[in-house]
Amino acid sequence: MREKLLYALGVIAFAILARDIFIIAGFPPEVAQGNAFKIIFFHVPSWVAAGTALTTALLSSILFLVTKNFKYDATAVAATEVGVAFLSVGLATGILWARPIWGVWWVWDARLTSALILWLMYAGYLMLRHAVEEPTQRANFAAVFSILAFIDVPIVYFSIRWWRTQHPAPVFFSSGGSFPPDWSAVMGWNILAMVMLACVLVSVRLQQEQAQREIDSLRRLAHAL
Amino acid sequence: MLSNGSLMHWTLPVLLAAQVSPEDVTREIGRLQRNFEFLSYGFAAAWIVLTVYVLMMVSRERRLKREITGLKAMLEDRQKR
Repeated sequence: MREKLLYALGVIAFAILARDIFIIAGFPPEVAQGNAFKIIFFHVPSWVAAGTALTTALLSSILFLVTKNFKYDATAVAATEVGVAFLSVGLATGILWARPIWGVWWVWDARLTSALILWLMYAGYLMLRHAVEEPTQRANFAAVFSILAFIDVPIVYFSIRWWRTQHPAPVFFSSGGSFPPDWSAVMGWNILAMVMLACVLVSVRLQQEQAQREIDSLRRLAHAL
Repeated sequence: MLSNGSLMHWTLPVLLAAQVSPEDVTREIGRLQRNFEFLSYGFAAAWIVLTVYVLMMVSRERRLKREITGLKAMLEDRQKR
């Protein structure tokens, strides 16, 4: 039942994202940037979803270090993996927006550089988990690494407020930008769909992590017999 | 009687339109088409990354289920012996 509900939520999220493509295509081009501006409808939601997943990973890592309960370690790895997937979407859509607007694929400004470092650190977290064999040691190292990696999240978020960057100033939660109300509604739906999709993927990944632990205990049992 | 401000308001677009050459129009159309091309690439990239990740999860799920079934069968077999 729980599994069916999860898959249903995932399908609904994908359906919302697919429906919004047609709505976004019908919007007029933005005055200064033309159609490329509309990439923001996938760019911002993917960063919100990534931020949500990485915050979950941070809280789970802290809870693991406090309680030593492996349930939190499993949640941290599930949330980090999904977070990296959404970070990849955010980076890819950003690069594809930059090319027609700036004329270059990439610039080493504070926002882009800190975002790339964030992606590298969380990819490193996933690699670290593969490198350490012993489960308790792996979970401890990973939890500490996850907490340290999260320091970059507020740096990425505030970089466009703290420093003068080539990246545009914030459009949302600031007095600097504006967004038409009908565009805001679609943006809201896309953010909801992406966060919903992230929650579904974290739950499914968590089940897989539990299945992996079951396999490990079955293997130990098989060795003992 | 039109004020200076309102005169500018009505005449400026006409004057600007008169200065636009066919090459400018072609260039602008090209720029908008290129923009649209990158919009479609952006949407495609978002969907491809998410779809690939979901497919990876589906394949991992299948592998885990197969592995659990195999291990359980092996354990039952050993316990029978």
